[in-house]
Formats: sequence, C-alpha cells, structure tokens
Amino acid sequence: MSTVPSELAVETEPKGVLPTGSAPTPARRVITTLRKSPAVVVSVCIIVFIVLLAVFAPVLSAITGWGPYDYDPSAIDSDLGGIPIGPLGGISAEHWLGVEPGNGRDILVRVAYGARVSLMIAVSATLITTTFGVIMGMIAGFFGGLADQVISRVMDFLMAFPSLIFMIALLSALPAGNRPALLVLVLSIFGWPYTARVIRGQTMSLRNSEFVEAARASGARPLKIAFREVLPNLRGTIIVLATLAVPSYIGTEAGLSFLGVGVMPPTPSWGQMISTAVGWYAVDPMFFLIPGTFLFLTVFSFTVLGDNLRRVLDAGDAAS
Amino acid sequence: MKKRTAFLGLAIATSLALVGCTASNTGSGSSGGVSGEPVEGGTLHVLQNTDFSHLDPAQGFDGGVNNFYRLIYRTLTTQGVGEGAKGTEIVPDLATDTGTPNEDATEWTFTLQDDIFFEDGTPITSADVKFGVERSLDPSISIGSPYAKIVLDMPEDYQGYYISGPLDTIETPDEKTIVFHLNQPYADFAAVVGQAPFTPFPADGDVTTTSIDQQPIASGPYRVTEYQRGSTLVLERNEYWDAATDDVRTAAPDSFEWTFGLDAATIDERMIADQGADQDAIAGSVQAASISRIQTPAIQERTIQGLQGCTTYMPLNTTKPGMDDPLVRQAINLAVDKQAVKDGTGGSQLADIATTMMPPTVAGFAEFDLYPSEDSKGDPEAAKALLAEAGYPDGFEFTLDIRNNPKMQAQAEAIQQALAKADITVDFNLIDSATFYEVIGTTSQQHDAAITGWCPDWASGATFLPPIFEGTQIFEKGNSNVAQLNDPAVNQRMTEIRAMTDVDEANAAWGALDEQIMELAPAVPLLFEKAVMVVGSNIAGAYAHAGFSGGIDYVSVGLASTD
Repeated sequence: MSTVPSELAVETEPKGVLPTGSAPTPARRVITTLRKSPAVVVSVCIIVFIVLLAVFAPVLSAITGWGPYDYDPSAIDSDLGGIPIGPLGGISAEHWLGVEPGNGRDILVRVAYGARVSLMIAVSATLITTTFGVIMGMIAGFFGGLADQVISRVMDFLMAFPSLIFMIALLSALPAGNRPALLVLVLSIFGWPYTARVIRGQTMSLRNSEFVEAARASGARPLKIAFREVLPNLRGTIIVLATLAVPSYIGTEAGLSFLGVGVMPPTPSWGQMISTAVGWYAVDPMFFLIPGTFLFLTVFSFTVLGDNLRRVLDAGDAAS
Repeated sequence: MKKRTAFLGLAIATSLALVGCTASNTGSGSSGGVSGEPVEGGTLHVLQNTDFSHLDPAQGFDGGVNNFYRLIYRTLTTQGVGEGAKGTEIVPDLATDTGTPNEDATEWTFTLQDDIFFEDGTPITSADVKFGVERSLDPSISIGSPYAKIVLDMPEDYQGYYISGPLDTIETPDEKTIVFHLNQPYADFAAVVGQAPFTPFPADGDVTTTSIDQQPIASGPYRVTEYQRGSTLVLERNEYWDAATDDVRTAAPDSFEWTFGLDAATIDERMIADQGADQDAIAGSVQAASISRIQTPAIQERTIQGLQGCTTYMPLNTTKPGMDDPLVRQAINLAVDKQAVKDGTGGSQLADIATTMMPPTVAGFAEFDLYPSEDSKGDPEAAKALLAEAGYPDGFEFTLDIRNNPKMQAQAEAIQQALAKADITVDFNLIDSATFYEVIGTTSQQHDAAITGWCPDWASGATFLPPIFEGTQIFEKGNSNVAQLNDPAVNQRMTEIRAMTDVDEANAAWGALDEQIMELAPAVPLLFEKAVMVVGSNIAGAYAHAGFSGGIDYVSVGLASTD
C-alpha cells in the first residue's frame, strides 16, 4: 500500500482491479465525517438554498408578482434621482428585498434569476474543465513522452497567460451573441490546465503502482488501464477539484460582469448588480449589500465544502 | 457635428474648486448667493475628471472645451451671457458688430475693435484673424468645428496655410477690416465666425500646426502659465486684455486652476461636503446617485441646473427591413415609455421628456407631440394596432446599438421593457465606449437602432436637423444621419430653408420641419438632459450656459468674497 506523494493525496486503496465497483464504505465514511462538522452542514444548507432559489426563480416571481425585468415606477422617487421609496432600499411587503434605484425592479427576483445565471455558468464551466482537464491530464501523465511534452507546454502557456486581462479583451472583441455560452467557453479555455496539472501528477505516480503493473502484465491495453485502473483512483481528487472550481468560476463570472464584459443586460447577474450599485452606495447601501451577500455566501460555502472534502479525503487516506 | 461624446467631457469635468486667497468661511451676507455679482480677484480652482480635448481651438470641439476657450481666446463674434436664450444669442466680440453681408449673403464684412491685443502686447489685426482661419484648415489639425470648411469659398484642394499658402477669398483691405467670400448664401454666418477655429493667432509669429496645442497664444482675459496634460492647468490674467473692449466676459477671478483626473464620485463628495478650499469651487453635473443627497436647503442654495441644450434620441435605421416601414417606426415611437427612460437617467432633476427632436434652447423650437400617451408611459395597444397594420401582427424584433455605460444601459433597458409590452423584442448590441460613435457612424456596421445624442453647434435648427436627417449627409464613415433618412420632401425643404436670408423666418421653418420629419418617425426623441451642478458656498455669478451643454459659464463665474 503506497501513499501518493501529492498535495492532493486521496484515497488510494489498491482495489483498482474492481473497475466499476464503487466503494460504498469510503463514501459513507466521508459523509459521516462531514456531517459532524457544523461549518460543512451550514455550507451545504446555504448551497441547497441558493440552488433552490435558482431552480424555483419563476415560482418566486409568480408568488411576489414581479418578473425579473418588470419596472415599478411607483417604488422609486423620480424627483430624487430615482432612489427607492421607503427604508432600507425600499424593502416592503411588495418588494421583500427592496428595489433597484432608477427603475424599481424587484431585487429578490433579480437575485434569484441572477443565481440561475451564475450557477449555470459556473457548473457548466466546471463540467467542461473537469472532463477536459482529466482527459488531458491522464493522457499526459499516463503516456508521457511527446504527448506529455505537448500537453504540458500548452498548460504552461495557458497558466502563464494573464488570463483575466485576456478574458476581458476576448469578451469585448467577440460579438454579442450568446453571452453565457461565450463566458463558459472563455472560462473553460483558461480553467482546464488547473485540473489537468493535478491529474497529470497523480496519474504519473499511479502509473507505477503495483496494480497497474499487474494489469499491464496481464496484457491489458494502455487505454483500458488508464480508464479502468487509474481513473477510479482519481475520483476523490476530481471531486475536490470540481467543488473548488465552482466558486472560483462564480467569482470570475461576477468579476467579468462587474467589468461590463460578462452577462449582457438586462439579464440579471450578481456582478452586474454590484457594479450598478457602486454609484449608489451612499444613498442606497442595500442595493450593494444584498447581491454582495449572496455572492459572498455562495463562494464561501462552496470553498468551505471543498476544503473540508479535501481534508476528510486526505485523512481517509491515512486511515485506510 | 457636435456629438454626445464631446459634452460628456464637460459633464465629468465637473467641479471647480476655488482655492484662492480666501481662508475665511461664508461670512459675507452681501450678494445673493451663487447668482450674485462676483468680486474681483482670487483664484478659481477647477476639479475635473478628464482633461480638455485640445487647447488648440482648431481641434477641440465640445461644449466643455468651447466654454474654456472663451477664457483664453476671442473670436469675431461669440455667444452671449445669461441663462436660456440670452446665452445662445450671437453677439459681437472682437468685431464691432455681427457683420455686414452683401445682398445674397455670400460676402461678409467684419470690422475689428480698437485696443485688442495678444498676450505679448501686439495688436490683433485682420491679418491675424485670416491667418487663424487658414491655419485651422490644415488637414492635420482640422478636426474641430467644420463650418469654415463647409461655407468658405476655397479651392477644392486647399490644405491650410502651411501647405497651400494664404487663401485669396479672405480679404483684409486694411488692418481692421476682414471680408469673407462664401461658396453659398449663408444668413447665419455671424454664428460661424464665433466658432473656435476663427480664433486669431499672430500671422508673423512662430505659430506652427502643433505649437498652439502646447502653448496657446491668448487673446482673451487669461493666458496659460502652466499646463501638465491630464494633471493641472493654470490660467493667469492677460494684462493686455482690456475689459472696455469686451461686453461678454466678466473675468472676475485673478486666476483659474484646474485639477484633472479626479473620480466623478469623489468630486460629488467634495462638492457636497463644501470644506475648506472647496467652498470656492464649482463643479459639473452630479451623478444620478447623488441627486437625493443634494436636496437639503443648504445644498439646494448652491445648486444650479440648466438644460444641456441637447437631445437624447433613438434613431431608427430606415434602410433596414421592417424599419423601412414608417408604420413600424411610428409604433415604436408610440410604445416607448419615456417616463421610465427618464427615471433610469436620474429622474426629473436630470432630464425632461422630449417629444420633439429640437431642444427648447434652439431658436424656432416648436412644441408638439405626435405620439402622445398617458404620462408619457407609452401606449402599447396603439403600437400593436399599428404593427398589425404594417403586417407584423405577431410582433417585431430589432437590434439596438448601445454604449457600454451605465446610464445608456439603463435607458436601453427601459426601452426594451416598454417595447416588450407591444410585442416588440429589442436585442442589445453592447459596444465599447471608445468605439461606439465610430460603429454607429459606419453604415455597414450599425444595426436597426441606436441611442445617441445631438447638440446644436449654435442655437439654430440649421446645425441640428440637417446633420442628423439630411439625405445628402449620409456617409459610409463618420455618418451622423444614423437614421439614414433620405426623404426627398425633407431634403428639398432643407435646401429651401438654407436659402432663406431672413434668420427668424428660417428658424421658424426649422421648427415646422421638425414636425414634418417626426411624421416619418425616423427617430424616437427621448430626453432633454439637464446639468445639475453643486458649487462651493463662496461662488458667485454661476449659471448654466445653454450654449455649452449646460456647463457653468467660465467667463462669468467668480468668488463671492476674497477675504
């Protein structure tokens, strides 16, 4: 039983011979351990809440009676530059979290629709970067040689690139089109090497482990070894990487929207709302605080969950 | 050709901080606040977001910089002083009157006053005025006001003084007289010679194409003593300027000092706080977010507002399928909720609703509303009926070019939301601020509609309607007729009005033409935006000048006390 020399060491029980045979015991162990941590429980609750908010945004809109694009001129004061009428940014029975200054759109409904956009983009980008990153990382790590050289250099290139600046430039230059899809694409182009690099390292050490040697000796073809022997042993790493990728993409998406190159108006987006709120911070701080809080909680919860997952999986390593 | 970009500079360039000698506070209960008479002396500090475009009057062309030019330059005529129409009236400046035309207004004679000097004490002669115009026609610098190029009679290949030499069609029979020959009858030529490129420069000096932008030669009450681009600009008195020769400029402060590069929000904060040296400060238009904070009586007392004299409108590209049908364009006009557009812009304090293309500050302005709705909130039902009549019973879809800035996005979203009620889908094409006017001014790149603005170069329909609606002014690049309207009746009428020699008759005709054009609905007039400025508590003589995009008239403003 060898431990994997990696910062992201994960479960390495030498049971790779059972390719699809999932390991119920470790999974249950991880869940049990995580449930004991209050931070994780709270994080998961927040994530579930935000996901529900996003999924049921249309229902929420029907309940409150306000669509994400509906103007409510009666909720703002045209003579005072369009600030919301009432305390705390116009919080009332009508508008539960107040309204946007200047147009009177309902903040709660827009935050809910904004969550849809944020989560959709972040989850799609995570799926793409994880899939692509794992495949590229495994090819580089498992086959080595020329493939490794080429893939590693491409990864070095992309990681050394000033990606944020390039994203801004690329998104400004691209035609309007389908912005969320473009964002996913741009985030994925610059995001996959971070997954692939870790996977490559893990694969390289797994390649020399005994069960792989055994499979090789028994005449299995390289591709079969890679996907049936090595990949199952990377599950833990992949889960952790993906959990940590989601908040980073949410943050980046919000940042790009804040800078005006992300999701196009009037599509609601947290970053955009925060950007609009900057000018109003003095007279209507709630407009800034509400989307800011949602963004903070989402990113924070995913990060706490990811960190704990990693810790538990690491510990499980030593325990098993 | 004065575009919205131009006066944005002014809007941002808001605050003037008067530092000067005064250390004391409010003190004097003497004069009547911001509109009272300023006292002589003191230093006026101006806090501004962006630097002026150019110090060379041949190159700068926006409300903000034209306002500034009057401090250091004089022209044969200029705009008056005072609020509203008084400010946009053309009055004599270097000349003794507003010029004498020949019978068909193709030849104009001006006589210079006595005792007018440059900053080094040399007298200003008619040859200097002639040289100034010839210099401004050099292709490398002629990016400012285009009227000299348009109306002066000159060879087609004339390229300015440095390349083509002196121009024969500007005659200087003696030192005090100058005669301009025009290529067409032009009744409004008195306003043309008030444009910045007609600024005199010493004909026998060392003036080159680029030297003025570096070191201007003053003919007005102040001269530039220190200039660091993007950072500071200091003006001090030009001792050779004689107040007796100048009925326009009060020029009360001893010096002006600009500080550039301040954040717009910072400027608002400082003006509201009114602390220390900022008590002697003036500022440009505040941001919408600051409006509610300036409602206290103490701040209202030092708040100035005025129309920018421009129209914010949505041209509809009449060459695009669907948009070429006047019924569709009328439906869009009916459906737009102008009240929501106004609220998004900053509400009633920062904008009035427009129903005409020409703003009220333009001479001959006639009020009408061809597409009325209750409270200007739009009439989606009537719009739907028109759309059905035009053959679009299931709705219509078009793409709107908008600039990537919060205010314009708020306006665009309000339009989108209102049109959605009439089954008209609006898609946005968000364009980077820096290239926005270039894109919508390129006929092959523009889409079905855009949101833009237009300001007259002087208060006449002649500088308002033709550039944005005349068929002959459609250019592949640098096009300002964004609607690409090319209507024979409208074109014909414009030619007729231009031939009128009676200015009042022409102005009235422009007002009537505005209504004729709006029947075709090539654009949706949205707003007449206003400038709202908070000035320091020690400011006097400040008012919004309609000829300079509603900016505070620099030549009239000063300090209330210099204790």
